[in-house]
Amino acid sequence: MSSRTRSVPRAALVCALVALLNAACWSLVTPPFQTPDETDHFAYVKQLAETGELPSSGSEQVSSEEIGVLLGLRAFRVRQEPQVHTIASRQEQRELQNDLTLAAGGGVRGSPAAGVAASQPPLYYALEAIPYVIAVHGSELVRLQLMRLVSALFAGLTAMFVFLFVREALPAAPWSWTVAGLAVAFAPLLGLMSGSVNPDSLLFAVSAAVFYALARAFRRGLTPRMAAAIGALTALGFLTKLNFIGLAPGVLLGLLVLSARAARTSGRSAYRLFALGGGLAVSPVVVYAGVNILSGHATLGIVSHAPRLTQGSLADEAGYIWQLYLPRLPGMLNDFPGIFAPRQLWFNGYVGLYGWLDTPFPAWVDSVALIPAAAIVLLCGRSLLQGRSLLRARAGEVGVYAVMALGLMALIGADSYLSFPATDAEYAQARYLLPLLPLLGALLVLAARGAGRRWGPAAGALIVILFVAHDLFSQLQEVARFYG
Amino acid sequence: MRSVRVALVAGFTLLGVALLLTLLGSPMTVAATNKAPAGEAPIGSTSSGATYCQARETLPDRTTAIRIWLDAAAGPRVRAVVYFGGRAIAGGTRGSDWIGGSVTIPVKPLARTVSATTVCVSFQLRDETIVIQGMPSAAAVAAHDGRRPLAGRMAIEYLRPGTRSWLSLAREVARRMGLGRAPAGTWIVLLALALFGTAVTLASRLLLQERL
Repeated sequence: MSSRTRSVPRAALVCALVALLNAACWSLVTPPFQTPDETDHFAYVKQLAETGELPSSGSEQVSSEEIGVLLGLRAFRVRQEPQVHTIASRQEQRELQNDLTLAAGGGVRGSPAAGVAASQPPLYYALEAIPYVIAVHGSELVRLQLMRLVSALFAGLTAMFVFLFVREALPAAPWSWTVAGLAVAFAPLLGLMSGSVNPDSLLFAVSAAVFYALARAFRRGLTPRMAAAIGALTALGFLTKLNFIGLAPGVLLGLLVLSARAARTSGRSAYRLFALGGGLAVSPVVVYAGVNILSGHATLGIVSHAPRLTQGSLADEAGYIWQLYLPRLPGMLNDFPGIFAPRQLWFNGYVGLYGWLDTPFPAWVDSVALIPAAAIVLLCGRSLLQGRSLLRARAGEVGVYAVMALGLMALIGADSYLSFPATDAEYAQARYLLPLLPLLGALLVLAARGAGRRWGPAAGALIVILFVAHDLFSQLQEVARFYG
Repeated sequence: MRSVRVALVAGFTLLGVALLLTLLGSPMTVAATNKAPAGEAPIGSTSSGATYCQARETLPDRTTAIRIWLDAAAGPRVRAVVYFGGRAIAGGTRGSDWIGGSVTIPVKPLARTVSATTVCVSFQLRDETIVIQGMPSAAAVAAHDGRRPLAGRMAIEYLRPGTRSWLSLAREVARRMGLGRAPAGTWIVLLALALFGTAVTLASRLLLQERL
């Protein structure tokens, strides 16, 4: 392996920098606490940074300091009320300043309640505790902004790992890797989530790194170092957000397939690599459960109350999850009357649903967006058709990525089914699919190549501009909604 | 390489034109509303399909959207129709991708204001619950579902494009963006522009240098 292939290429670093700058821009455009659950995630960090302990309650009664600032910002009135804007007068700013001063002198340590964040693992929050402590003499808004910038760093890592993933998975045309890296760097949802305090930002980066490590192992073979890397990254995923559980079966399957391949040349000892990677992967779960059992707590602590993934009949649940992503089959109950869930929940949600899921584009934008989306899918299909023999030869690798994607989608569907029928699809939010950004990158690479040798590079440049335009107008939509 | 340069120039030119057209457009403003300063309160709820109608409304001229206070976790497709003398004179549909306390439904604008209209809003539901928000009123003037009156009148806003463009409002918007921050100030806007501009410049240079 040459030093050139080992090192991170300059283009990947530029993609990372572009994603970092874009997410930092989103962090300035989005008002404080106006992204999904940012209040709860901030409370978790406050608890961890100020007391060294994890939150103990899923109540939304976060600390009185934070609530004071939220009131000063009119955050509760602005949230999910698109006609209500953020504070607009010098008088309101002065009142907010008073609230911030009171919060700073409040002397309340930590926030035992952290709402929906309380059941999440601590890695992201521990990292965010660093800027929180650095800015300990600043106001809550200064801390929040610094924490948002740390999330923006994870956007950079995500774009870089997407670049590296397509470099390993689709090595034929180096020019096209840049298309994937830059397009993902400008993906508006990545900017929104990585421009806020939310463990999703780290989850996207860790997931992209896992995809990259698997692609590298499939291309170059599984070594002990690579098995350990995949296992360690998987462990980081478990420590970042519970949603990673959806990707885990695919990752373990990947390790198994790679070990079986290695066994063809090095015998049964290759399965030790599976044990190494798998063991490292599940180690945080085992350690956490062991500590809880020894200390007389529920095996999975506060998480024990969270992962209840079934209710009612399995057939009904399977039908629900199917319809969440695909057209309803004959004989299935209609769980989404009047809507086509893949289009209205996922596609429209990806095209634009910002703020606290309260800032969409006008409906016509979703319809117009179908045109470039269809063009990209058609070009990708052409590329796959041309390379179908290669695709067959790599069926195992493609199958592993498919199981990872299906696992995540099934987890989101099963979680949503828990609150169905009271709520149609509580977790049908496009951001939950962003751990699959490397696959979007691969799709874009294939689309650019699908335009042919002559027009491919131009098509690639146009795809990047499409993402830049989407990103720019998405940020303007936020500006119009919150400050217009 | 040349094709990439041409694609970049063409793409960014198109983007610039779209941006200019957007900035020359006007934000929506409230032309009329029946909302009370005290705010809204629940006046009814339903977990099945329903049509609610409310008389004694006025549809202002150039109204391009009607906002109705329906509260839903994941809103269904909603249709609004404005009747005058028993005839539908305006109407529109909003898809099912809305959430929160109100839904905005685009309608075709009329050239003149029409008084004594009736606004009807319809939706199909199976499992969701929708809460209708409004102002308590006497049953005689309350909104009704065809069989019985609700506990008051639905809160409704009529929206139309304002007279000032986004471009002319830019300073005001920038000032507002700078509030609610620490430290407060329009530096936020300048920094955001610089960050995004740098990101686009870096991306363009990379596309050209990578010999696409």
